[in-house]
Amino acid sequence: MNDKYKLKDWQELPIGGVVPEGGNSADYETGTWRTNRPLWYEENCIQCLTCWVFCPEGAILLKDGTKPNGQPRKEIKEINLFHCKGCGLCAKECPVNIKGNKIAIELVKEEI
Amino acid sequence: MSKILAITGAGAMSQAMRQINPDVVPAFPITPSTQVVEDFSQFVADGLVDTEFITVESEHSAMSACIGASIAGGRVMTATSSAGMALMWEMLYVASSMRQPVVLTLINRAMSAPINIHADHSDSMGARDAGWIQLYSESNQEAYDNLIMAPRIAEASDVRLPIMICLDGFIISHCVQTMQMEDDDKVREFIGEFKPAYSLLDTENPVSWGALDLQDYYIEHKRAQHMAMQNAKESIKLVSEEFYQCFGRKYELFESYCLDDAERVIIAINSIAGEIKEVVDDLRNKGEKVGLLKIRSFRPFPYEEIAESLKSAKIVTVLDRSESMGAYGPLFTEIRTALFDVPDRPMVYNRMFGLGGRELFMSDIQNIFEESNRYLENGKVEKVFDYLNVRGG
Repeated sequence: MNDKYKLKDWQELPIGGVVPEGGNSADYETGTWRTNRPLWYEENCIQCLTCWVFCPEGAILLKDGTKPNGQPRKEIKEINLFHCKGCGLCAKECPVNIKGNKIAIELVKEEI
Repeated sequence: MSKILAITGAGAMSQAMRQINPDVVPAFPITPSTQVVEDFSQFVADGLVDTEFITVESEHSAMSACIGASIAGGRVMTATSSAGMALMWEMLYVASSMRQPVVLTLINRAMSAPINIHADHSDSMGARDAGWIQLYSESNQEAYDNLIMAPRIAEASDVRLPIMICLDGFIISHCVQTMQMEDDDKVREFIGEFKPAYSLLDTENPVSWGALDLQDYYIEHKRAQHMAMQNAKESIKLVSEEFYQCFGRKYELFESYCLDDAERVIIAINSIAGEIKEVVDDLRNKGEKVGLLKIRSFRPFPYEEIAESLKSAKIVTVLDRSESMGAYGPLFTEIRTALFDVPDRPMVYNRMFGLGGRELFMSDIQNIFEESNRYLENGKVEKVFDYLNVRGG
């Protein structure tokens, strides 16, 4: 946890529960809500980025890559488990999964 | 120019609002507070104020709009009564918890049922725990003066709490009294400019309001709110002193009327204090040591100050004008708490009166002083709680 999110005394709080800055929801760990963890199999992935479009948490992280013909494109880098709530939309919408011959993303039970 | 004029209490409140010239007034009419916003809407139509006047669809919306406009950085006012404030209920707590210095004129009126439009304090006393500063007013002049002071008290940087100025429905709101109305420019100078702590419209510094707050923070926010209400006591004193320097009328947290050597004291709130003062004067002329303590600030409640001012008292009658079924009146419980730590504390008892606008006459007040004299001579309070002027006893 970021040090600025250390629990504060009442005297230190901004007035009236205001959140006095923008963009800090990125620091909030929603990954602890997860009961199912997504596993991404890069070798089966066709880099269509459908999962990136559907992910409600922005947990599919991208990197710069190249198409087989050498043109630049965005590719999946990894799944950010700090934010991923394990909703499974990525696996549900994945066209590789839908086709059914291979699995590109699957959800497995989190081990406690 | 400062002038003396004959005006109703509600009219006086709308004049104060005109002079304050708030940025936003969302309002919904309800008897007896209607005239406040009715007159004010005329000022808006006549171009006498710069206010954005929002005719909302309910009191819940009125208070919601007040909160939104206040968070956006505006100085915000509204007015209501009784059931109107009851419909604001949820948002009363939101306003105070989000620390928005909204200013409300509350014309006290009985809560239904049976439906009744006349004065008692069941509306504001029900809201005593909502985190609003509550100032009460005996007359048009006091109500007007309290409203002029209200934004300054509420907006103090270590307070930032909403404030309601209470006055009795019809008895004050609709009766014409003479009062001193101060000069527009002088009032505006006294009020000054509102500087919000955070503004939702400040896009350079984006903030979020109304975030979820669970077991890890809610109680800290309440603790901070409690402190702000403690600080409000000092803010009331400071602003009242400055008001006295500017306009020459002196106000304290409560009014002490012939209290210094008083042995028998009545404690009351709002318009009934006028009649009590008349009776105190009469009895003083006959050499009786009687006095009145009139509450101005009910929230924050000045426990220590009241205890100090009742040092000479031997018996205290607390008049409540709102019921707390199954308990003593709300003012009585505060007063008895204030007196508990006083060495040689006076006897104290509670009388309920005036619900739904039932009159209390000067002869009734004389009876109270006679009763308290009897209790004092016997050294015993026979009835700690009773009703006044109710058929069937």
